[in-house]
Amino acid sequence: MKTNFYNYKSSVVPTWCPGCPNFLLFSGLQSSFAKLKIPNHNIVVVSDIGCAGNMADFLNTYGIHSLHGRAIPTAIGVKLANPKLTVVVVIGDGGAYGEGLNHLITATRANYDIKVFVANNHLYSLTTGQASPTTKTGTKTKSTPQGYALKPINPVFLLKNVNPSILVENVNSKNPPKLFKKITNTLNHQGFALLDISQICISFGK
Amino acid sequence: MLKSNKMIKESFSIKLAGPAGMGVKSGGQLFSKFFQSLGFYFHDYTEYPSLVRGGHNTYQATYGYQKIHAPHQKIDFFFSLKPGHCQQHQNEFYQSTLIFSDEKNPVLKGKFIHLPLLQLSSQAGNPLSTNIICFGITTFLLNQDKKKAIQLIPQIFSKNIKTNSTAFDIGYIYAQQNLKQYQQTLKTPKSGNKLTGSNDGNQAFAYGFLQGKGNFYTAYPMTPSSGALHLLAQKQANLSAVGGAQSALDSTRPSVKSVSGGEKQPDTFNIKVVHPEDEIAAASLATGAAFAGARSAVGTSGGGFALMNETISFCGVTEIGMVYYLVSRPGPATGMPTWTSQADLLHAVFSGHGEFPKVVIAPGDQQESFEFANIGLNLADQLQTPIIVLSDKFIAESSVSTTDLSKEKALVNRGKILNSVPKNFKRYNWITQSGVSPRCLPGTINGQFLANSYEHNQLGFSTENPIIAVKMRQKRAKKSEIAKTLSPKPKLFSNKNATNLIISWGSNKGPILEALKKLDNFAFLQIRTLWPLHNSIKNTIQKYKKIILIENNQTSQLGFLLKSLFSFSPTATILKFNGRPFFPEELIKKFKK
Repeated sequence: MKTNFYNYKSSVVPTWCPGCPNFLLFSGLQSSFAKLKIPNHNIVVVSDIGCAGNMADFLNTYGIHSLHGRAIPTAIGVKLANPKLTVVVVIGDGGAYGEGLNHLITATRANYDIKVFVANNHLYSLTTGQASPTTKTGTKTKSTPQGYALKPINPVFLLKNVNPSILVENVNSKNPPKLFKKITNTLNHQGFALLDISQICISFGK
Repeated sequence: MLKSNKMIKESFSIKLAGPAGMGVKSGGQLFSKFFQSLGFYFHDYTEYPSLVRGGHNTYQATYGYQKIHAPHQKIDFFFSLKPGHCQQHQNEFYQSTLIFSDEKNPVLKGKFIHLPLLQLSSQAGNPLSTNIICFGITTFLLNQDKKKAIQLIPQIFSKNIKTNSTAFDIGYIYAQQNLKQYQQTLKTPKSGNKLTGSNDGNQAFAYGFLQGKGNFYTAYPMTPSSGALHLLAQKQANLSAVGGAQSALDSTRPSVKSVSGGEKQPDTFNIKVVHPEDEIAAASLATGAAFAGARSAVGTSGGGFALMNETISFCGVTEIGMVYYLVSRPGPATGMPTWTSQADLLHAVFSGHGEFPKVVIAPGDQQESFEFANIGLNLADQLQTPIIVLSDKFIAESSVSTTDLSKEKALVNRGKILNSVPKNFKRYNWITQSGVSPRCLPGTINGQFLANSYEHNQLGFSTENPIIAVKMRQKRAKKSEIAKTLSPKPKLFSNKNATNLIISWGSNKGPILEALKKLDNFAFLQIRTLWPLHNSIKNTIQKYKKIILIENNQTSQLGFLLKSLFSFSPTATILKFNGRPFFPEELIKKFKK
């Protein structure tokens, strides 16, 4: 069984900005897969659209680079059809809490056995920095030059209220050892688990 | 008067009308079950508004000694289960039609008979028993065996068995005492009908899906497609299956569950059926499942299909094969939800952004709904691209005599699936004649690949390289040619005298074949694959002088395709777009012109 760290990496060189916190999620996933000894042919990573979703190309597992907001229902389809697979979602705050919020709520209610990692940088970064569902009220962005008027979503609070029996946690990527530990915990959970990772966009975040 | 001098020769039609909640449809189904048990073929048709109580519902069916392809518009026996439901049907009456209602004569045509249904049903002790009273009356009027009729009632109405059999007797005795002069002779068929099953198009599709080893079905409820969801949900073996431990892939063989009577029959299947939060999720779930190896389908109607468009495009680029069961109703938008239409043909053909191969097949009747479910699943596996099975309310919600579809065989073809692959497996290998690259399923050692919504290279990794992009597009496009050889060919119904040709598709098949029982100078070409169109259509067209195109839409959408692909214009086009199907009588009238 090839479960060394480097077996989970594809030959494609990551395209993220140097210093992007997505690198931490990327290596955290690889080391957790290795630690938990999950063979790469038994993993399906379903990625959403956005910077974090581009991880699809960089991993050496089965993968689907799905449509924006649809990574969660696509992953559920994979899991229901073959429950033996480890099914992981890599998604941003826009896909998880905006375009795909309805799907996230349903997945939480149903407690489907998939693991969701949200790279939450409070911004739409691949589209050069517009407001996202977790942007702080008042923040000026390209799409909200007068300041963002909406209240931000608090994912942990929201999902815990929808279904207290799921695992939903927040971690800040500024603390890599803690992030790595939480990634392993999330993968180890039986049932629906979501790790909300607070990140800073080094190019468009302020 | 009519006593014994009227004899039913080929076929006869019965219609029940009343408000929703009066058992119009269930009552009608009792009539059909009875005549089918006597050996008649039948084809029914229901009309109902989009509400739960009140309104004006109808059930009609035509019964014949030969196969009935479509219900007739003209009715022989009409029952209004409550006053006020017969006047609007006057143009469906012959002078000889018997019209029964509990009111003063409101009709100008036919033989009106006042029937005290309110009084009779209160005698029976149930105001909702008028349908069974009318069944009792009909049993007498057609001089049929009372015992045979009564024993069928519990098969449709499992509750109130005693009250129901009282209601039947009340109707039968009332007819005996008051309606003797209307009794007619109905000879039962000698050989009996070989088609002893009864299914509507949705049920037929569901059985085709099961027999075709379909094992993953998702749908957000939408009339008129929900019947398939209901039947499949019932057939799911592990009802608590959400996130359950059993894999849909472990086995697609029916599990054996004992049924009453001690006889063991395969009744439930190891399938996953999901009703998710919306149509977008339904389609996304199905793609994920298909990627993981399931034989996967979604069911919907036009509005839901609009939401699934992004997923169709996604299936196109990732080469994930799955079936979209699209049951049409009149749009635009919410339109007329419980009526029929063929206005979504071009929506299906041009669905999904970008350019990619897809197949649109349209069953013409319930038996073909069964076949096309499996053919659709096969094409999805063989071509690895989205397959649309385009039906409509007229097929999906009308029941006909069929074979026992739960026992019909289906030939399953899973396409190219590799059990072992070398390292650096090229999932999207473009060195292929057909455009189809062999795939492996997740879980296969060394097989790791990316199903990528971005344009991609042979491994599945994103690319914006102009040469690779063109090569990949050309590879996928090849599948359209193979699709023409694998998908259902046009079917020609012809005879020696035919000099004129009718071209049509989908549910019009029934009314056309029923009309052609009376006309011998017409051939009929049923186009069964609407996209990509088969080249042989052009050759067939050239053999006939006069060509009539028939469609149940406003803009002749098949006409648009024939014109743009074959530069062909028909001699005449017959269109109907009022939510109702064609009836054989109106087609005969138009053909004779």
